[in-house]
Amino acid sequence: MADVWRHAWLLARKDLLVEFRSRTAILSALVFTVLVLMVFNFGRDPTAVAAVDLAPSILWVTFTFAAMLALNRAFQLELENQALDGLLLAPVSRSSIYLGKLMANLVFVATVEAVGLPLFALFFNVPILHVLGPLLGVIALATVGFVAVGTLFSAMTARTRFAELLLPVLLLPFMIPPLIWAVLATGALLAGRPLSEAAGWLRLLAAFDIVFVTLAFVLFPATVNE
Amino acid sequence: MRLLKTGRWITGVGLALLAAVYVRALAFTPVERFQGPAQKIFYIHVPAAWSAMLAMGLVGIAGILFLLLKDPRFDRFGEASAEVGTAFSMVMLTTGPIWAKPIWGTWWTWDARLTLTLFLFLLFLGYLLLRGAVTDPGLRARYSAVLGICGLVLLPFIHLSVYFFRTLHPQPIVLKPSAPSLPGPMLVTLLFSFLVFTVLYVGFVTQRYALSLLREQAEPHA
Amino acid sequence: MPENTPYMVAAYIVAAAILVTYAVLLYRRTLKP
Repeated sequence: MADVWRHAWLLARKDLLVEFRSRTAILSALVFTVLVLMVFNFGRDPTAVAAVDLAPSILWVTFTFAAMLALNRAFQLELENQALDGLLLAPVSRSSIYLGKLMANLVFVATVEAVGLPLFALFFNVPILHVLGPLLGVIALATVGFVAVGTLFSAMTARTRFAELLLPVLLLPFMIPPLIWAVLATGALLAGRPLSEAAGWLRLLAAFDIVFVTLAFVLFPATVNE
Repeated sequence: MRLLKTGRWITGVGLALLAAVYVRALAFTPVERFQGPAQKIFYIHVPAAWSAMLAMGLVGIAGILFLLLKDPRFDRFGEASAEVGTAFSMVMLTTGPIWAKPIWGTWWTWDARLTLTLFLFLLFLGYLLLRGAVTDPGLRARYSAVLGICGLVLLPFIHLSVYFFRTLHPQPIVLKPSAPSLPGPMLVTLLFSFLVFTVLYVGFVTQRYALSLLREQAEPHA
Repeated sequence: MPENTPYMVAAYIVAAAILVTYAVLLYRRTLKP
Protein backbone atom coordinates (compact mmCIF):
# COMPACT_ATOMS: atom_id res chain seq x y z
CA MET A 1 0.00 0.00 0.00
CA ALA A 2 2.79 2.40 0.88
CA ASP A 3 4.42 1.42 -2.41
CA VAL A 4 1.42 2.67 -4.34
CA TRP A 5 1.79 6.11 -2.82
CA ARG A 6 5.55 6.14 -3.17
CA HIS A 7 5.36 5.22 -6.84
CA ALA A 8 2.58 7.69 -7.38
CA TRP A 9 4.65 10.47 -5.85
CA LEU A 10 7.66 9.52 -7.99
CA LEU A 11 5.51 9.60 -11.12
CA ALA A 12 4.02 12.92 -10.14
CA ARG A 13 7.47 14.34 -9.51
CA LYS A 14 8.64 13.18 -12.93
CA ASP A 15 5.67 14.85 -14.62
CA LEU A 16 6.06 18.05 -12.68
CA LEU A 17 9.79 18.22 -13.34
CA VAL A 18 9.15 17.91 -17.06
CA GLU A 19 6.37 20.48 -16.98
CA PHE A 20 8.15 23.07 -14.93
CA ARG A 21 11.48 22.61 -16.63
CA SER A 22 10.10 23.54 -20.02
CA ARG A 23 7.61 25.96 -18.45
CA THR A 24 5.69 26.38 -21.72
CA ALA A 25 2.60 24.62 -20.51
CA ILE A 26 2.33 26.37 -17.17
CA LEU A 27 3.02 29.79 -18.63
CA SER A 28 0.47 29.27 -21.37
CA ALA A 29 -2.09 28.21 -18.79
CA LEU A 30 -1.37 31.30 -16.68
CA VAL A 31 -1.62 33.64 -19.62
CA PHE A 32 -4.83 31.93 -20.68
CA THR A 33 -6.31 32.50 -17.22
CA VAL A 34 -5.47 36.21 -17.34
CA LEU A 35 -7.03 36.50 -20.76
CA VAL A 36 -10.21 34.70 -19.68
CA LEU A 37 -10.57 37.14 -16.79
CA MET A 38 -10.18 39.97 -19.27
CA VAL A 39 -12.81 38.45 -21.53
CA PHE A 40 -15.19 38.37 -18.60
CA ASN A 41 -14.54 41.95 -17.87
CA PHE A 42 -15.18 43.14 -21.38
CA GLY A 43 -17.90 40.62 -21.94
CA ARG A 44 -20.26 42.31 -19.58
CA ASP A 45 -22.01 45.64 -19.67
CA PRO A 46 -20.45 47.54 -16.73
CA THR A 47 -23.43 49.82 -16.37
CA ALA A 48 -25.89 46.99 -16.09
CA VAL A 49 -24.32 44.49 -13.78
CA ALA A 50 -22.23 45.00 -10.67
CA ALA A 51 -19.07 42.91 -10.63
CA VAL A 52 -19.78 41.67 -7.15
CA ASP A 53 -22.96 39.92 -8.30
CA LEU A 54 -21.17 38.05 -11.01
CA ALA A 55 -18.00 37.44 -9.03
CA PRO A 56 -18.54 33.80 -8.07
CA SER A 57 -19.53 32.90 -11.63
CA ILE A 58 -16.53 34.67 -13.13
CA LEU A 59 -14.15 32.95 -10.76
CA TRP A 60 -15.54 29.51 -11.33
CA VAL A 61 -15.98 29.63 -15.07
CA THR A 62 -12.37 30.81 -15.28
CA PHE A 63 -11.18 27.97 -13.07
CA THR A 64 -13.27 25.45 -15.01
CA PHE A 65 -11.69 26.42 -18.30
CA ALA A 66 -8.21 26.57 -16.76
CA ALA A 67 -8.65 23.06 -15.36
CA MET A 68 -9.87 21.83 -18.73
CA LEU A 69 -6.82 23.28 -20.42
CA ALA A 70 -4.52 21.66 -17.89
CA LEU A 71 -6.21 18.29 -18.27
CA ASN A 72 -5.99 18.34 -22.03
CA ARG A 73 -2.25 18.04 -21.83
CA ALA A 74 -2.29 15.52 -18.99
CA PHE A 75 -1.47 12.53 -21.11
CA GLN A 76 0.08 14.34 -24.05
CA LEU A 77 3.50 13.87 -22.52
CA GLU A 78 3.19 10.11 -22.72
CA LEU A 79 1.75 10.14 -26.18
CA GLU A 80 4.67 11.96 -27.64
CA ASN A 81 7.36 9.36 -27.25
CA GLN A 82 5.24 6.29 -26.76
CA ALA A 83 6.21 6.82 -23.19
CA LEU A 84 2.93 5.35 -22.03
CA ASP A 85 4.10 1.88 -22.99
CA GLY A 86 7.24 2.42 -21.00
CA LEU A 87 5.19 3.50 -18.06
CA LEU A 88 2.97 0.44 -18.30
CA LEU A 89 5.97 -1.89 -18.43
CA ALA A 90 7.45 -0.38 -15.33
CA PRO A 91 6.87 -2.29 -12.07
CA VAL A 92 4.28 0.12 -10.80
CA SER A 93 0.61 -0.65 -10.40
CA ARG A 94 -1.92 1.04 -12.64
CA SER A 95 -3.38 2.69 -9.57
CA SER A 96 -0.06 4.39 -8.91
CA ILE A 97 -0.17 5.80 -12.40
CA TYR A 98 -3.60 7.25 -11.75
CA LEU A 99 -2.64 8.71 -8.39
CA GLY A 100 0.59 10.08 -9.79
CA LYS A 101 -1.21 11.75 -12.68
CA LEU A 102 -3.87 13.03 -10.33
CA MET A 103 -1.32 14.62 -8.02
CA ALA A 104 0.66 16.15 -10.88
CA ASN A 105 -2.51 17.57 -12.42
CA LEU A 106 -3.63 18.93 -9.05
CA VAL A 107 -0.33 20.73 -8.56
CA PHE A 108 -0.54 22.14 -12.06
CA VAL A 109 -4.10 23.39 -11.70
CA ALA A 110 -3.42 24.66 -8.17
CA THR A 111 -0.53 26.73 -9.51
CA VAL A 112 -2.81 28.29 -12.09
CA GLU A 113 -5.48 28.96 -9.46
CA ALA A 114 -2.92 30.45 -7.08
CA VAL A 115 -2.23 33.11 -9.66
CA GLY A 116 -5.78 33.37 -10.92
CA LEU A 117 -7.40 34.02 -7.55
CA PRO A 118 -5.46 37.18 -6.60
CA LEU A 119 -5.82 38.49 -10.14
CA PHE A 120 -9.55 37.91 -9.98
CA ALA A 121 -9.73 39.80 -6.69
CA LEU A 122 -7.72 42.60 -8.23
CA PHE A 123 -9.51 42.93 -11.55
CA PHE A 124 -12.99 42.81 -10.14
CA ASN A 125 -12.36 44.54 -6.86
CA VAL A 126 -13.54 41.62 -4.78
CA PRO A 127 -12.38 41.50 -1.18
CA ILE A 128 -11.46 37.92 -0.37
CA LEU A 129 -8.96 38.09 2.47
CA HIS A 130 -11.60 38.00 5.18
CA VAL A 131 -12.87 34.64 3.93
CA LEU A 132 -9.63 33.35 2.47
CA GLY A 133 -9.49 30.18 4.56
CA PRO A 134 -12.93 28.83 3.71
CA LEU A 135 -12.57 30.07 0.14
CA LEU A 136 -9.39 28.10 -0.31
CA GLY A 137 -11.26 25.10 1.07
CA VAL A 138 -13.96 25.47 -1.55
CA ILE A 139 -11.39 25.87 -4.29
CA ALA A 140 -9.43 22.84 -3.13
CA LEU A 141 -12.49 20.58 -2.94
CA ALA A 142 -13.91 21.65 -6.28
CA THR A 143 -10.53 21.33 -7.97
CA VAL A 144 -10.10 17.78 -6.69
CA GLY A 145 -13.49 16.95 -8.17
CA PHE A 146 -12.61 18.45 -11.55
CA VAL A 147 -9.21 16.81 -11.72
CA ALA A 148 -10.25 13.38 -10.41
CA VAL A 149 -12.69 12.84 -13.26
CA GLY A 150 -10.60 14.81 -15.73
CA THR A 151 -7.51 12.66 -15.20
CA LEU A 152 -9.53 9.52 -15.88
CA PHE A 153 -11.19 10.93 -18.98
CA SER A 154 -8.02 12.44 -20.42
CA ALA A 155 -6.46 8.97 -20.29
CA MET A 156 -9.24 7.84 -22.59
CA THR A 157 -9.40 10.80 -24.95
CA ALA A 158 -5.64 11.21 -25.30
CA ARG A 159 -5.47 8.57 -27.99
CA THR A 160 -8.51 9.71 -29.94
CA ARG A 161 -8.46 11.94 -32.94
CA PHE A 162 -10.23 15.04 -31.69
CA ALA A 163 -8.98 14.86 -28.13
CA GLU A 164 -9.11 18.62 -27.47
CA LEU A 165 -12.75 18.69 -28.45
CA LEU A 166 -13.82 15.36 -27.06
CA LEU A 167 -12.43 15.87 -23.56
CA PRO A 168 -14.52 18.98 -22.81
CA VAL A 169 -17.61 17.31 -24.28
CA LEU A 170 -17.21 14.33 -21.99
CA LEU A 171 -15.93 16.16 -18.95
CA LEU A 172 -18.10 19.27 -18.67
CA PRO A 173 -21.26 17.45 -17.55
CA PHE A 174 -19.18 16.06 -14.70
CA MET A 175 -17.78 19.46 -13.79
CA ILE A 176 -21.17 21.12 -13.53
CA PRO A 177 -22.33 19.75 -10.16
CA PRO A 178 -19.08 20.74 -8.36
CA LEU A 179 -19.25 24.02 -10.23
CA ILE A 180 -22.75 24.66 -8.90
CA TRP A 181 -21.80 23.93 -5.29
CA ALA A 182 -18.59 25.95 -5.61
CA VAL A 183 -20.47 28.95 -6.99
CA LEU A 184 -23.09 28.72 -4.25
CA ALA A 185 -20.44 28.41 -1.55
CA THR A 186 -18.31 31.23 -2.97
CA GLY A 187 -21.37 33.43 -3.25
CA ALA A 188 -22.31 32.74 0.34
CA LEU A 189 -18.78 33.47 1.57
CA LEU A 190 -18.33 36.67 -0.41
CA ALA A 191 -21.72 37.94 0.68
CA GLY A 192 -20.64 37.56 4.27
CA ARG A 193 -23.18 34.90 5.11
CA PRO A 194 -22.46 32.58 8.04
CA LEU A 195 -20.03 29.75 7.46
CA SER A 196 -22.66 27.16 8.30
CA GLU A 197 -24.38 27.99 5.04
CA ALA A 198 -21.31 27.34 2.95
CA ALA A 199 -20.68 24.19 4.96
CA GLY A 200 -23.60 22.45 3.26
CA TRP A 201 -22.06 22.96 -0.17
CA LEU A 202 -18.65 21.93 1.13
CA ARG A 203 -20.09 18.66 2.37
CA LEU A 204 -21.56 17.94 -1.05
CA LEU A 205 -18.25 18.79 -2.69
CA ALA A 206 -16.46 16.47 -0.32
CA ALA A 207 -18.94 13.67 -1.01
CA PHE A 208 -18.49 14.15 -4.75
CA ASP A 209 -14.73 14.05 -4.34
CA ILE A 210 -14.71 10.90 -2.26
CA VAL A 211 -17.03 9.09 -4.64
CA PHE A 212 -15.30 10.10 -7.85
CA VAL A 213 -11.71 9.78 -6.72
CA THR A 214 -12.53 6.26 -5.58
CA LEU A 215 -14.44 5.47 -8.76
CA ALA A 216 -11.71 6.86 -11.02
CA PHE A 217 -9.07 5.00 -9.02
CA VAL A 218 -10.98 1.75 -9.52
CA LEU A 219 -11.76 2.34 -13.21
CA PHE A 220 -8.42 3.73 -14.35
CA PRO A 221 -6.76 0.33 -14.91
CA ALA A 222 -9.50 -0.51 -17.41
CA THR A 223 -8.39 2.41 -19.54
CA VAL A 224 -4.78 1.32 -19.86
CA ASN A 225 -4.89 -2.43 -19.67
CA GLU A 226 -4.22 -4.30 -22.83
CA MET B 1 -31.87 -13.55 -37.90
CA ARG B 2 -34.21 -14.41 -35.09
CA LEU B 3 -33.21 -11.70 -32.67
CA LEU B 4 -33.88 -9.09 -35.30
CA LYS B 5 -37.28 -10.49 -36.12
CA THR B 6 -38.18 -10.56 -32.43
CA GLY B 7 -37.04 -6.98 -32.09
CA ARG B 8 -39.06 -5.82 -35.07
CA TRP B 9 -42.11 -7.62 -33.83
CA ILE B 10 -41.86 -6.08 -30.36
CA THR B 11 -41.33 -2.64 -31.86
CA GLY B 12 -44.34 -3.13 -34.09
CA VAL B 13 -46.48 -4.08 -31.13
CA GLY B 14 -45.09 -1.12 -29.21
CA LEU B 15 -45.98 1.32 -31.96
CA ALA B 16 -49.47 -0.11 -32.22
CA LEU B 17 -49.88 0.24 -28.48
CA LEU B 18 -48.51 3.77 -28.73
CA ALA B 19 -51.33 4.59 -31.09
CA ALA B 20 -53.72 3.12 -28.54
CA VAL B 21 -52.25 5.30 -25.80
CA TYR B 22 -52.64 8.32 -28.03
CA VAL B 23 -56.28 7.58 -28.62
CA ARG B 24 -56.93 6.91 -24.96
CA ALA B 25 -55.05 9.99 -23.75
CA LEU B 26 -56.51 12.36 -26.29
CA ALA B 27 -60.09 11.15 -26.51
CA PHE B 28 -60.88 9.10 -23.45
CA THR B 29 -59.03 10.78 -20.62
CA PRO B 30 -60.56 13.78 -18.86
CA VAL B 31 -59.02 17.19 -19.37
CA GLU B 32 -57.31 18.57 -16.30
CA ARG B 33 -59.16 21.59 -14.99
CA PHE B 34 -56.31 24.01 -14.21
CA GLN B 35 -53.79 23.17 -16.89
CA GLY B 36 -56.14 22.43 -19.73
CA PRO B 37 -55.42 20.13 -22.65
CA ALA B 38 -51.69 20.77 -22.53
CA GLN B 39 -51.53 18.72 -19.35
CA LYS B 40 -51.97 15.64 -21.52
CA ILE B 41 -48.43 16.05 -22.75
CA PHE B 42 -47.61 14.60 -19.35
CA TYR B 43 -48.74 11.15 -20.58
CA ILE B 44 -46.01 11.18 -23.18
CA HIS B 45 -43.29 13.18 -21.47
CA VAL B 46 -43.13 11.30 -18.19
CA PRO B 47 -42.98 7.76 -19.63
CA ALA B 48 -40.35 8.94 -22.11
CA ALA B 49 -38.36 10.20 -19.14
CA TRP B 50 -38.73 6.81 -17.53
CA SER B 51 -37.43 5.09 -20.65
CA ALA B 52 -34.48 7.46 -20.91
CA MET B 53 -33.56 6.94 -17.26
CA LEU B 54 -33.94 3.19 -17.67
CA ALA B 55 -31.68 3.33 -20.71
CA MET B 56 -29.04 5.27 -18.79
CA GLY B 57 -29.21 2.95 -15.81
CA LEU B 58 -28.78 -0.09 -18.01
CA VAL B 59 -25.86 1.47 -19.88
CA GLY B 60 -24.12 1.89 -16.53
CA ILE B 61 -24.95 -1.59 -15.31
CA ALA B 62 -23.88 -3.09 -18.64
CA GLY B 63 -20.60 -1.23 -18.19
CA ILE B 64 -20.02 -2.71 -14.76
CA LEU B 65 -20.87 -6.20 -15.99
CA PHE B 66 -18.62 -5.82 -19.00
CA LEU B 67 -15.62 -4.79 -16.92
CA LEU B 68 -16.23 -7.62 -14.47
CA LEU B 69 -17.07 -10.42 -16.90
CA LYS B 70 -15.40 -9.21 -20.09
CA ASP B 71 -18.38 -10.45 -22.12
CA PRO B 72 -18.76 -8.42 -25.34
CA ARG B 73 -22.51 -8.91 -25.22
CA PHE B 74 -22.67 -6.35 -22.44
CA ASP B 75 -20.80 -3.86 -24.58
CA ARG B 76 -23.19 -4.40 -27.45
CA PHE B 77 -26.10 -3.92 -25.09
CA GLY B 78 -24.62 -0.71 -23.70
CA GLU B 79 -24.21 0.68 -27.18
CA ALA B 80 -27.80 -0.20 -28.06
CA SER B 81 -29.22 1.21 -24.85
CA ALA B 82 -27.32 4.47 -25.27
CA GLU B 83 -28.62 5.05 -28.76
CA VAL B 84 -32.19 4.22 -27.77
CA GLY B 85 -31.80 6.44 -24.70
CA THR B 86 -30.79 9.29 -26.98
CA ALA B 87 -34.03 8.89 -28.93
CA PHE B 88 -36.15 8.94 -25.78
CA SER B 89 -34.16 11.92 -24.48
CA MET B 90 -35.06 13.77 -27.65
CA VAL B 91 -38.70 13.07 -26.98
CA MET B 92 -38.23 14.45 -23.47
CA LEU B 93 -36.35 17.50 -24.67
CA THR B 94 -39.02 18.41 -27.19
CA THR B 95 -42.18 17.60 -25.25
CA GLY B 96 -40.78 19.22 -22.10
CA PRO B 97 -40.50 22.77 -23.46
CA ILE B 98 -43.75 22.37 -25.43
CA TRP B 99 -45.40 21.58 -22.12
CA ALA B 100 -43.53 24.29 -20.22
CA LYS B 101 -44.58 27.13 -22.52
CA PRO B 102 -48.32 27.05 -21.84
CA ILE B 103 -47.97 25.89 -18.24
CA TRP B 104 -45.03 27.95 -16.98
CA GLY B 105 -45.10 30.72 -19.57
CA THR B 106 -41.58 30.05 -20.82
CA TRP B 107 -40.08 27.55 -23.25
CA TRP B 108 -37.16 26.75 -21.01
CA THR B 109 -36.41 26.90 -17.35
CA TRP B 110 -33.55 25.46 -15.39
CA ASP B 111 -35.78 23.48 -13.11
CA ALA B 112 -34.53 20.15 -11.87
CA ARG B 113 -36.47 17.99 -14.30
CA LEU B 114 -35.77 19.81 -17.56
CA THR B 115 -32.13 20.27 -16.59
CA LEU B 116 -31.75 16.58 -15.85
CA THR B 117 -33.27 15.91 -19.26
CA LEU B 118 -30.59 18.00 -20.88
CA PHE B 119 -27.85 16.32 -18.86
CA LEU B 120 -29.09 12.86 -19.84
CA PHE B 121 -29.12 13.82 -23.49
CA LEU B 122 -25.58 15.19 -23.29
CA LEU B 123 -24.33 12.14 -21.42
CA PHE B 124 -25.79 9.84 -24.07
CA LEU B 125 -24.26 11.94 -26.83
CA GLY B 126 -20.90 11.93 -25.08
CA TYR B 127 -21.05 8.16 -24.83
CA LEU B 128 -21.84 7.79 -28.53
CA LEU B 129 -19.20 10.34 -29.52
CA LEU B 130 -16.57 8.52 -27.50
CA ARG B 131 -17.50 5.27 -29.22
CA GLY B 132 -17.22 6.97 -32.57
CA ALA B 133 -13.77 8.29 -31.76
CA VAL B 134 -12.19 4.97 -30.77
CA THR B 135 -11.52 2.47 -33.52
CA ASP B 136 -10.16 -0.51 -31.64
CA PRO B 137 -13.17 -2.55 -30.49
CA GLY B 138 -11.60 -3.79 -27.27
CA LEU B 139 -10.53 -0.32 -26.24
CA ARG B 140 -13.85 1.13 -27.28
CA ALA B 141 -15.74 -1.35 -25.15
CA ARG B 142 -13.63 -0.63 -22.06
CA TYR B 143 -13.79 3.15 -22.51
CA SER B 144 -17.55 3.03 -23.03
CA ALA B 145 -17.99 0.95 -19.90
CA VAL B 146 -15.95 3.45 -17.87
CA LEU B 147 -17.91 6.42 -19.20
CA GLY B 148 -21.24 4.66 -18.74
CA ILE B 149 -20.49 3.82 -15.12
CA CYS B 150 -19.34 7.38 -14.39
CA GLY B 151 -22.47 8.76 -16.02
CA LEU B 152 -24.72 6.59 -13.89
CA VAL B 153 -22.90 7.59 -10.69
CA LEU B 154 -23.19 11.25 -11.69
CA LEU B 155 -27.00 11.24 -11.82
CA PRO B 156 -27.69 11.62 -8.08
CA PHE B 157 -25.11 14.42 -7.90
CA ILE B 158 -26.83 16.21 -10.76
CA HIS B 159 -30.04 16.11 -8.78
CA LEU B 160 -28.29 17.30 -5.61
CA SER B 161 -26.75 20.28 -7.36
CA VAL B 162 -29.41 21.39 -9.80
CA TYR B 163 -32.14 21.15 -7.21
CA PHE B 164 -30.33 23.55 -4.86
CA PHE B 165 -29.32 25.87 -7.65
CA ARG B 166 -32.90 26.05 -8.71
CA THR B 167 -34.56 26.61 -5.37
CA LEU B 168 -32.21 29.51 -4.63
CA HIS B 169 -32.81 31.13 -8.00
CA PRO B 170 -36.55 30.91 -8.41
CA GLN B 171 -38.04 31.57 -11.79
CA PRO B 172 -41.31 33.41 -12.23
CA ILE B 173 -44.02 30.83 -12.55
CA VAL B 174 -47.27 31.49 -14.24
CA LEU B 175 -49.18 28.37 -13.44
CA LYS B 176 -47.56 26.06 -10.94
CA PRO B 177 -48.60 22.50 -11.65
CA SER B 178 -49.31 20.80 -8.38
CA ALA B 179 -47.90 17.35 -7.76
CA PRO B 180 -50.58 15.35 -9.42
CA SER B 181 -52.65 13.09 -7.26
CA LEU B 182 -54.14 11.53 -10.30
CA PRO B 183 -57.73 10.48 -10.38
CA GLY B 184 -58.49 7.00 -11.68
CA PRO B 185 -58.76 7.35 -15.46
CA MET B 186 -55.71 9.58 -15.66
CA LEU B 187 -53.63 7.18 -13.63
CA VAL B 188 -54.65 4.30 -15.88
CA THR B 189 -53.61 6.25 -18.96
CA LEU B 190 -50.28 7.09 -17.40
CA LEU B 191 -49.57 3.52 -16.36
CA PHE B 192 -50.59 2.24 -19.76
CA SER B 193 -48.20 4.72 -21.32
CA PHE B 194 -45.38 3.55 -19.02
CA LEU B 195 -45.99 0.03 -20.23
CA VAL B 196 -45.98 1.07 -23.87
CA PHE B 197 -42.77 3.06 -23.54
CA THR B 198 -41.11 0.12 -21.85
CA VAL B 199 -42.21 -2.16 -24.69
CA LEU B 200 -40.81 0.36 -27.18
CA TYR B 201 -37.53 0.47 -25.25
CA VAL B 202 -37.23 -3.32 -25.39
CA GLY B 203 -38.11 -3.45 -29.08
CA PHE B 204 -35.69 -0.70 -30.06
CA VAL B 205 -32.81 -2.08 -27.98
CA THR B 206 -33.34 -5.59 -29.36
CA GLN B 207 -33.17 -4.33 -32.94
CA ARG B 208 -30.18 -2.11 -32.25
CA TYR B 209 -28.38 -4.98 -30.52
CA ALA B 210 -29.13 -7.20 -33.51
CA LEU B 211 -27.69 -4.51 -35.77
CA SER B 212 -24.39 -4.55 -33.84
CA LEU B 213 -24.30 -8.31 -34.11
CA LEU B 214 -24.98 -8.21 -37.84
CA ARG B 215 -22.23 -5.67 -38.35
CA GLU B 216 -19.74 -7.75 -36.43
CA GLN B 217 -20.65 -10.85 -38.39
CA ALA B 218 -20.18 -8.99 -41.65
CA GLU B 219 -16.70 -7.89 -40.65
CA PRO B 220 -15.11 -10.53 -38.45
CA HIS B 221 -12.16 -9.31 -36.42
CA ALA B 222 -9.01 -11.38 -36.04
CA MET C 1 -59.84 26.32 -18.40
CA PRO C 2 -56.91 27.57 -20.47
CA GLU C 3 -57.14 27.04 -24.19
CA ASN C 4 -53.82 25.44 -25.08
CA THR C 5 -54.79 22.58 -27.35
CA PRO C 6 -52.27 23.51 -30.08
CA TYR C 7 -49.43 22.75 -27.64
CA MET C 8 -50.86 19.38 -26.83
CA VAL C 9 -51.20 18.54 -30.51
CA ALA C 10 -47.70 19.76 -31.29
CA ALA C 11 -46.14 17.69 -28.51
CA TYR C 12 -48.02 14.54 -29.48
CA ILE C 13 -47.04 14.96 -33.11
CA VAL C 14 -43.37 15.65 -32.35
CA ALA C 15 -43.10 12.69 -29.98
CA ALA C 16 -44.69 10.34 -32.49
CA ALA C 17 -42.49 11.70 -35.25
CA ILE C 18 -39.32 11.04 -33.28
CA LEU C 19 -40.32 7.53 -32.25
CA VAL C 20 -41.61 6.50 -35.66
CA THR C 21 -38.56 7.99 -37.40
CA TYR C 22 -36.26 6.07 -35.11
CA ALA C 23 -38.22 2.86 -35.71
CA VAL C 24 -37.98 3.37 -39.47
CA LEU C 25 -34.27 4.15 -39.24
CA LEU C 26 -33.64 0.97 -37.29
CA TYR C 27 -35.64 -1.04 -39.78
CA ARG C 28 -33.72 0.32 -42.72
CA ARG C 29 -30.33 -0.01 -41.08
CA THR C 30 -30.98 -3.64 -40.31
CA LEU C 31 -32.00 -4.39 -43.88
CA LYS C 32 -28.47 -3.83 -45.09
CA PRO C 33 -25.95 -3.36 -42.24
